[in-house]
Amino acid sequence: MTDNNNENSIDIKIESKRKLSSRRKRVLVNHYMRIINIFVISLVFIAGFVYLLVFERETVSNEENRNLAKFPEFSIASYLSGDYTEGIAEYYDDTVHNRSKIKEFISSKLLPLKGKKYGEDEITLYGSGFENQEEDETEPTTEPVTTEPPTTEPVETSTDASAVTAASTTTAETTTTTTTTTVPDNNNPAADGEIANNIVVANNRGLMLYGGSFKNGLEYASYVNAYKEQLGDSVNVYSMVCPTAVSYYMPENYLDLTASEKDNIDNINSGLVNVTPIDVYNTLLLHKSEDIYSRTDHHWQPLGAYYAAQAFAEAAGVPFADLSEYETITLTGYVGTLYGYTKSDALLNNPEDFVYYKPLTNTITTRYTTAFTDPYEDSLLLDPQYMSNSSYYMVFGGDGQITHVATECTNGRTLVIFKDSYGNALLPVLTSSFENIYLCDVRYFDINAISFIQEVGATDLLFAMNTFSATGDNYKYIEENRTK
Amino acid sequence: MVFSRLFFLYLFFPICIVVYAAVGNIKNKNTVLVIFSLIFYAWGEPVYVLLMLLSAVINYSAGLLIDRFRGRKLDGFTTFAAVFYNLLMLVIFKYSGFIVENINAVFSADFHVPELQLPIGISFYTFQTISYIIDCHWETVKPQKKFKNFLLYLSLFPQLIAGPIVRYSTIEGEIENRKTTSADLAYGLNRLILGLSKKVLLANQLSIIVDDILGGIENASFVGAWYGAAVYALQIYFDFSGYSDMAIGMGRIFGFHFDENFNHPFICKDITEFWQRWHISLSTFFRDYLLYIPIFGKRRKYGGLFLVWLCTGIWHGASWNFIIWGLYYGLFVFLEMKIGKKRMKKIPVVIRQIYSKIVIVIGFGIFYFEDLGQLGTFFKTIFGFGGNGFIRLTEKISVVNNMYLLIIAVICCFPILAGIKKITEKSFPAKTVVSFATTFASAALLILSSIMLVDATTNPFLYFRF
Repeated sequence: MTDNNNENSIDIKIESKRKLSSRRKRVLVNHYMRIINIFVISLVFIAGFVYLLVFERETVSNEENRNLAKFPEFSIASYLSGDYTEGIAEYYDDTVHNRSKIKEFISSKLLPLKGKKYGEDEITLYGSGFENQEEDETEPTTEPVTTEPPTTEPVETSTDASAVTAASTTTAETTTTTTTTTVPDNNNPAADGEIANNIVVANNRGLMLYGGSFKNGLEYASYVNAYKEQLGDSVNVYSMVCPTAVSYYMPENYLDLTASEKDNIDNINSGLVNVTPIDVYNTLLLHKSEDIYSRTDHHWQPLGAYYAAQAFAEAAGVPFADLSEYETITLTGYVGTLYGYTKSDALLNNPEDFVYYKPLTNTITTRYTTAFTDPYEDSLLLDPQYMSNSSYYMVFGGDGQITHVATECTNGRTLVIFKDSYGNALLPVLTSSFENIYLCDVRYFDINAISFIQEVGATDLLFAMNTFSATGDNYKYIEENRTK
Repeated sequence: MVFSRLFFLYLFFPICIVVYAAVGNIKNKNTVLVIFSLIFYAWGEPVYVLLMLLSAVINYSAGLLIDRFRGRKLDGFTTFAAVFYNLLMLVIFKYSGFIVENINAVFSADFHVPELQLPIGISFYTFQTISYIIDCHWETVKPQKKFKNFLLYLSLFPQLIAGPIVRYSTIEGEIENRKTTSADLAYGLNRLILGLSKKVLLANQLSIIVDDILGGIENASFVGAWYGAAVYALQIYFDFSGYSDMAIGMGRIFGFHFDENFNHPFICKDITEFWQRWHISLSTFFRDYLLYIPIFGKRRKYGGLFLVWLCTGIWHGASWNFIIWGLYYGLFVFLEMKIGKKRMKKIPVVIRQIYSKIVIVIGFGIFYFEDLGQLGTFFKTIFGFGGNGFIRLTEKISVVNNMYLLIIAVICCFPILAGIKKITEKSFPAKTVVSFATTFASAALLILSSIMLVDATTNPFLYFRF
């Protein structure tokens, strides 16, 4: 018994030791697991520390068209306001090494994980669209007064329901404009009031959704009329309100998301008095199957501007050179502003060609400040190989200047263009049509517009801007420039 | 400075930890924490840091005086004066504009409306000092004798600017007697990363939907209003609980054990339970300090209840919608009290779940719209009188475009991690696998969140404004 008891007690001791040893092992494993945990996470923090502090910092964001944050300069005032310390944090956050590639990774790999693209047209919506919005207090005039109907049958109308529907839609109109600010900010299309916060990406194409405003449109018309009234018969005045890609490429099922640019343009034209409207909408409808608009940028392609310029030249009764009289230059791999705003993988992964036309005739280009001072000679088109970013601006330059082009044309006609950035692409393709062209941006103009027009001896005055500018905030600059 | 930015995560915080670990004893560690906390606060508030320091001096002194005058009338007077000072600062900096605006509106007066910038975190640190003073008066805690230690309590950067509202009693014993074990460090780091992920991967992305839908409430449909408000509820939850997670995690790394501030609020079955799970440190503050004020006599139960909810609303902001929001919740808590716990429990769980979610979603709609006109539009729309139909195409597109994000967000509202821990607790191999998976999940989430931060132009925590 005793032996047995002793044996039993030995067994118990052995089992107890085993249990203890097993428990110790478990404690030890748990401890090591925690150490591994701390080690791995610490490694990430150390790597991040080194990456943020040691690696070369970026200075420019091409896709956002902006300079990245700079290390702030110290001053007592900036410190007390918190701007200095905030600026330091902003500097480190904003200028991360390989920022562009990281953002590309986010766009192409991470953000698509949020969900699925919608429908057969693979729609992704950025913003809320303008579906079901209330009607403007100003009703559109049903009969456009001065718009000329297209002289030929649109090529695409029978096959493209969206364009036809867009053209005939008379529904949603809104008091909301999609523009964001009236403060000029060169190379920042959102701040320039040219780009909407509401963007749809469908079939690898970015489309800005248009809110429109009949009230603003009629005000735009009245402001343009005031120029004509003041300048009299000596100057021909034209209004070219350019539709954007949404009028032509919005999938049929989603037309309700946007207001009709056609209706808004017709409304504007109905308010023009002694001002000649240029029918860009129907002109471009004829060429819808061509690359007249960028898929990745909110601008038109230079080809679209060419056709618009042709319509204008016809209306103005001036010569117009065929495309064969230009050197055609193609830049590949172009990803424009709409990618910058949406970070859409569909746009990023489907870059496009940017095709522009360089006049073969001689021109003398002079740039001035926005107060028409400090002239210097420059090339008509910028050489894109010297530009680090790929955008509409790299060829046509920025907006904050007045440009004068003296051409080989000898018809005695001098054209002044007041425009937004859509107008930049008109300049090279009008060099065969006018002897002198002055290109001025409505948003960056610091002198009295009427005095300027008279001073340069203008025979023709063209207002050229897209629908977002014409019914957004930018049209107000037209009146400001006339009365300043 | 916000936690969810690269500068904080990879420069400020690591440097703080390294210096903290490098110095020897607890006194030096506390000095390091105070210095880094002051730098942290002054980074965003170079001037108002003085206001916070003044508050520290006054409340520290008041605590000592309360102790000195113990048993005399001056004890109560000092308590009152200190609480009055704290509330006065809050009223001046947070509510003066709102008060004057309303006086002008009601009496057609034309008083100058002060436009004071709200000092970051004043609502949080003021409530901490009030709780400290009252606890000293009630002798729940002993007044802190050393100013540096008191300043550490008040300014501790993990919880300084957006809570949780840490009671002095919670960390009293840890100020001079704490250590960080490997378990603390591992827990703290994982919790920090969990909070960061909630904020960056969920809240920031959900905010885009909210801006699109609720930002254009005039155009929202019936479904859109519900959708927008529900997503906003998720956004706020992940934003605020993410911040609390980060605060609790960082606190643990420095050896402090803060109380939980959220406990999966959306699994609640009624509104009373919701508030036992949502912003717990604020609810318990009002429960412990405000309900004791005997200003309602025999009707204290209900009078105090509505006072608590009125204050809860006002605490969130100087705007009528927050007051409505607070009283709205007070009304439902009152109704649930009237019905009684027993009778509430007899109602089928499904119905209680649906009821509580409807109330919560509408509640967050009220919370969103500071403009009362827009709030009116929201009410009309969410009850089917908005005039924009049942559902819009854009809302359908939004749901599909964000489908996986929404599913993950809803799943993350449930106590899944706690469930996994409970299931695997008793199995050593399973626990080891979970521990291993946690390590790599945390590392992956940290990397992923950091990558997303490169693209985050602005992502302040919503509760910074309160």
